[in-house]
Amino acid sequence: MKQFADRAFLALLLAVLLAVPLGVALWSHKETTAYYENRSLAEAPELTAESVWDGSFGTEAESWYSDHAPGRTTLLELDTWVQMKLMGRPVVNGIVTVGDVLLPELEFDEYSEEAYRYGAAPIAEDFGALSAYVESLGGTFCYVGFPEQRVYFEDQFPDYLNNHSQEAATADAVFAEALAEQGVDFLNMREVYDQQGNPAEYYSAVDHHYRYWGTYAAYRAILDHLSEQGWDLPVLTEEDLEFQSLPYPYIGSRNRKLYNLWPNEEQAVIAVQKDPVAFTRWDNGAPSDKPLFVLPASEELPTTYNLYMGGDFGETILDTDRPELPNVLVFGDSFTNALETLLYASFNEMHSLDLRYYTEQSLKDYIAAYQPDIVLCVQNDTFYYTEGGNNAVWVD
Amino acid sequence: MSFGSMVFLFGFLPAVLVCYFLLPARWRTGRNTVLLIFSLAFYCWGGVALLPALLVSCVGNWAAALWAAPGHRGRKAVYGIALAGNLVMLGYFKYTGFLLENLQALGLDVTVPSIALPAGISFFTFQAMAYLTDVYRGTIPAERSLPRLTLFMAFFPQLLQGPILRYGEFAPALTQRRENSEDAAAGATRFCFGLAKKVLLADSLGVIADAAFSSGDRLTMSLAWLGGIAYTLQLYFDFSGYTDMAIGLGRIFGFRLPENFNYPYISKSASEFWRRWHMTLSFWFRDYVYIPLGGNRCSRGRQILNLLAVWMLTGLWHGSAWNFVLWGLYYALLLMGEKFLWGKFLEKLPAAVRHAYALVLIIIGWVLFRSGSLAQVGQMVAAMFGAAPGGLWSAETAYYLHQFHWELLLAIPASLPVKQVLEERLAARKGKAAQMLLILGPKVLGFGLLGWSVVRLLSSTFRSFLYFQF
Repeated sequence: MKQFADRAFLALLLAVLLAVPLGVALWSHKETTAYYENRSLAEAPELTAESVWDGSFGTEAESWYSDHAPGRTTLLELDTWVQMKLMGRPVVNGIVTVGDVLLPELEFDEYSEEAYRYGAAPIAEDFGALSAYVESLGGTFCYVGFPEQRVYFEDQFPDYLNNHSQEAATADAVFAEALAEQGVDFLNMREVYDQQGNPAEYYSAVDHHYRYWGTYAAYRAILDHLSEQGWDLPVLTEEDLEFQSLPYPYIGSRNRKLYNLWPNEEQAVIAVQKDPVAFTRWDNGAPSDKPLFVLPASEELPTTYNLYMGGDFGETILDTDRPELPNVLVFGDSFTNALETLLYASFNEMHSLDLRYYTEQSLKDYIAAYQPDIVLCVQNDTFYYTEGGNNAVWVD
Repeated sequence: MSFGSMVFLFGFLPAVLVCYFLLPARWRTGRNTVLLIFSLAFYCWGGVALLPALLVSCVGNWAAALWAAPGHRGRKAVYGIALAGNLVMLGYFKYTGFLLENLQALGLDVTVPSIALPAGISFFTFQAMAYLTDVYRGTIPAERSLPRLTLFMAFFPQLLQGPILRYGEFAPALTQRRENSEDAAAGATRFCFGLAKKVLLADSLGVIADAAFSSGDRLTMSLAWLGGIAYTLQLYFDFSGYTDMAIGLGRIFGFRLPENFNYPYISKSASEFWRRWHMTLSFWFRDYVYIPLGGNRCSRGRQILNLLAVWMLTGLWHGSAWNFVLWGLYYALLLMGEKFLWGKFLEKLPAAVRHAYALVLIIIGWVLFRSGSLAQVGQMVAAMFGAAPGGLWSAETAYYLHQFHWELLLAIPASLPVKQVLEERLAARKGKAAQMLLILGPKVLGFGLLGWSVVRLLSSTFRSFLYFQF
């Protein structure tokens, strides 16, 4: 009996040890992306004399092999389930799973106010130069800042985790102060949402973005703000729109990291114009037939925040052919996407840039060539202090 | 290459097993050659640039031992030169930076070069020195075959982190070992348990330790203790896990490698702890340093000097930094205290008190060991005894207790001889169910742990074993 058990165990073990490389060779080496991790899988390492000499071949081979293990996604999903459901960890795959909303795990370390002041000054200086430049061309510039979901729901962090509440407030205030010193008009949506009582439905429980209710509130706040500055723009009122909860399963960026295993009833919301403002669209310089809301083919298929405008593009233009209205240039992060589905209707033309992807020319040159009436920078607070991307606003 | 890597588990390991066992058992040289080739490939995986140091050591010690064997003229000088050569090589790779940094701190205008440390150099150098000494003493004959000696030095299961082998124990197996399914199954099971110790326990506990040791001004008394305890457990599961894998792999290939751990955390004194922790290193220092210096058979003053020398060297062996020296001297003081001062009093205390005494001292010892600088040693130890910048308790401590409660709970029975006791009890029962459980239980559990460990490996980035750096 013992000998049989020993041999059966060894045979099974050897079969598993051989099955994995066989599986990699036969099929899993072809995979290129890890959807739930939102990244590309490691590429096969190049065998060179140098890489073998310095050991980089071994390191890269390990990454490649781990990434291409057969059944990797299923195994990681199983692991996530075990961590969440069986082991009851409060943080799984970098996501805080306790409470009513999914939040990112934040470090216990915090930056000091001095560090923020040091970081804010040069960024604000660039925005100050941009603002002055837009005004010199007869336009209006406004920076619209949004709280990211983790800030909006900062009270939902469990007591034993650092929600960086104080730090976020400091960073916000320092940034606003620095922009004010440079004469930059700053619309802080955090304050606007605060005044409206921070309704829970404004932000997603499973994604780092706002929901469409929050988008609409921002749209109205921006138009009110521009109106105060003398711009007379048509506004899409709630009567002009029909808000619809979509039937598709909604995968937020937070829940995606959990392999969509967190119980989630949230549905994506869109607002359909009862009397739609027609437009023609260009993406990255080419005509596009993409609608404002890109929906899945069937109700069983999941959707994500990318449904708004079809995700991030370097450049998108929506032309409503109403020359009596001003032109707007919006640049910023993905918070612009949902906003654009409403904003375009208030302008003749809406040009949208995401400087993380747009490389044709500098923002300065773009503005010089296009000469928009209004320039809006739309970013969430996690990007206030980053270098490059949509903060590279005053480079040649 | 780490045992806890996908390339090792699902590339190197099946390849070596297939190549090895496809050769007929009677062709011992062929099987040894397979092990040698794979051992060198295993070492080269981290970069062929590291190989020359290992090869120089193998060839140099092989040649020196042939000359240093009894009956040769000038053998004493050759033995001395060879020992010095080993120490120079170890010193160059491991201690040059440390020495020059200290000279720099003293105001000398020296530049500190960046020298890549060949993995496992402390282990294979000590094996070589032990081999040379045993040959010189006439305890064992010099090995005439360079491939055999190279296999002894480079045997991949123990190349990077031990256990430290003696050639006298290893050599007979090179020609006389007999692989069988019973040994292979026991070895494979032990490998699976070792992998789980490393991946499921040590790596998770390491997150707590890393957080505590990098918390700076946030450090609280509770976090300092939690970090110290977590590191104590991490180091044990990391190192003993590796040893389990090494011994398990050795057994699959028919070798019986020496044990390195004997449940060190059940010790009731610092002296007992060192009889249970990293035993092959302790034996090495005993046989090749302490006893040649006079051991216990000399005056008390000389004994104290001998102990100080051995423990300072033990500290330095682990790393080229002052906190390792401090750690070595800390144990020298404890062992001398137990030997000459409070040892007899300690023996009269209840077992629970002695156990608590030993554990507290061991945890403080690991805090010295883990700290990145003498300043951090001071900060951590002060925090443990109440002078923490963040006070007594922090939310951070609560988080790590929540997040890793399973690992902390499992670590306790896993560091005690629970498995051993269970196996003994099952073996004593004569029922069929008990026998079935005894035969199948470890295999099923081992297989499950292997699967779970692989899943955890996939979900994490590659992590190296702690003892690689030594």
